[in-house]
Amino acid sequence: MTKETYLHDKHVALGAKMVDFAGWHMPVQYKTSIIEEHNTVRNAVGLFDVSHMGEVFVSGKDALKFLNSVVPQDISKLTYEKAVYCQLPNKNGGLIDDLIIYKLGITEYLIICNASRLDEDLNWLVRNKRGLDVKIDNQSHNFSLLAVQGPKAAELMRKMGLNTNQESFTIKTGEVAGVKVLASRTGYTGEDGYEILVENEFSEYLWDKILEDGAEFGIKPIGLGARDTLRLEAALHLYGNDLDETTTPIEAGLSWSIPKDKKEDYNGKNVIMEQLANGGTKKLIALKMLDKSIARHEYEVYFNGEKVGHITSGAPSPTLGANIALAYVKNLKEICTDSIVQVMIREKLHDALVVKKPFVTKRNKVKGE
Amino acid sequence: MGITEKILCSSTHEYLLDNEDGTFTIGLTDYAVEQLGDIVFLELPETGTEFKKGESFGAIESVKAASEIYMPISGKVIEVNETLVETPEELNQDVYENGWLIKVEATGDSAEMNDLMEYEDYKESVH
Repeated sequence: MTKETYLHDKHVALGAKMVDFAGWHMPVQYKTSIIEEHNTVRNAVGLFDVSHMGEVFVSGKDALKFLNSVVPQDISKLTYEKAVYCQLPNKNGGLIDDLIIYKLGITEYLIICNASRLDEDLNWLVRNKRGLDVKIDNQSHNFSLLAVQGPKAAELMRKMGLNTNQESFTIKTGEVAGVKVLASRTGYTGEDGYEILVENEFSEYLWDKILEDGAEFGIKPIGLGARDTLRLEAALHLYGNDLDETTTPIEAGLSWSIPKDKKEDYNGKNVIMEQLANGGTKKLIALKMLDKSIARHEYEVYFNGEKVGHITSGAPSPTLGANIALAYVKNLKEICTDSIVQVMIREKLHDALVVKKPFVTKRNKVKGE
Repeated sequence: MGITEKILCSSTHEYLLDNEDGTFTIGLTDYAVEQLGDIVFLELPETGTEFKKGESFGAIESVKAASEIYMPISGKVIEVNETLVETPEELNQDVYENGWLIKVEATGDSAEMNDLMEYEDYKESVH
């Protein structure tokens, strides 16, 4: 059965088009248009319901040791109230999920993961406990998650009582409009902003209040459609499209997130370390179409007449006014920035330029970035 | 008589308007365009091309997705809405007056229209 967030009726009342996404009935766009919602987040501030995402608390004497055994990142370097972008590899280095881990206390951590992968993640985490003193507590059903994203996000949160003297990739307890929240300065849009974790019973109040107080900043509710174009412009991966269990973090272009010197063993370490040195069998590249065509998920990619890979995500970029895509191609050194490849669209080849990631860079950096 | 009383619609969301001179105008229904959302790309065939009923004659893309457009009857293309190809976003405003796609000369039997629906029935079928 399709699940609904605590804000489901709010979306319907706002006239949202609802779709099934990862087993949830979610708004894909509200009354205006995806492009308008997209531009609202780039130029002002937008509000997203991302309550479908998973929240898993990991605690206990061995919590650090446990987390270090399941992610390539060095969790011993994660300090109080800090967040780190992580992956959950299988034994072959393929990705079960990508996630953010937060340190909430000396032996307490929070994992925020993809809705579509929560069950797999939980199974994997439990299978990897190996007698360690660790409690894995799925609290996803008790929390709503509201993302407030855009250049005006901090100003709005400040107006609503949050202490916004908070660095990027940190999490703090605070109050928004008198409601106790966990405020994380993170997002999935390529803009500054917050992801606000709140108990379900306060989510409707907070949703309405953020829209009301955000009116002076031009706030709009934003659906999954614009969430996708925003994250694609920022070249942030979407699990299921750009990441899966046959893809390593190196192949996915996430080498920057992998420490070379981590001592502890973790699942897939041999493969990941070998690929960190020598590269994977494929690589994720960013493409800009050179005509008006749009490359979509699973379209084939060609180079010098040979099929070399496929598109994983593709859409128009409202910010650039061009059509952009991510693709996996054979790890050939000839395919690099400024190379031209071809995408097969409705039985015709269309030229695309290989460009640097991200497509759109953040304009207003906050401390900690 | 309003335009929606004169058109026939296919289950794949194209409409067919009889121009009563042996030619027909083909477009996408307002419902289809509304479901697609922001239209950003339109690909139409060249004048003179012939298609069988049910064949794809073009493609339309919104921000979210790409869709094929199918012939509601067999026909030879006699006119293409080139203006719309340049500004496909106009489709979000109107699908009939400026938002038509192609005009064709029918090349098939009139029985080909038997499975097309009146607009009111079409609307009911999609809701």
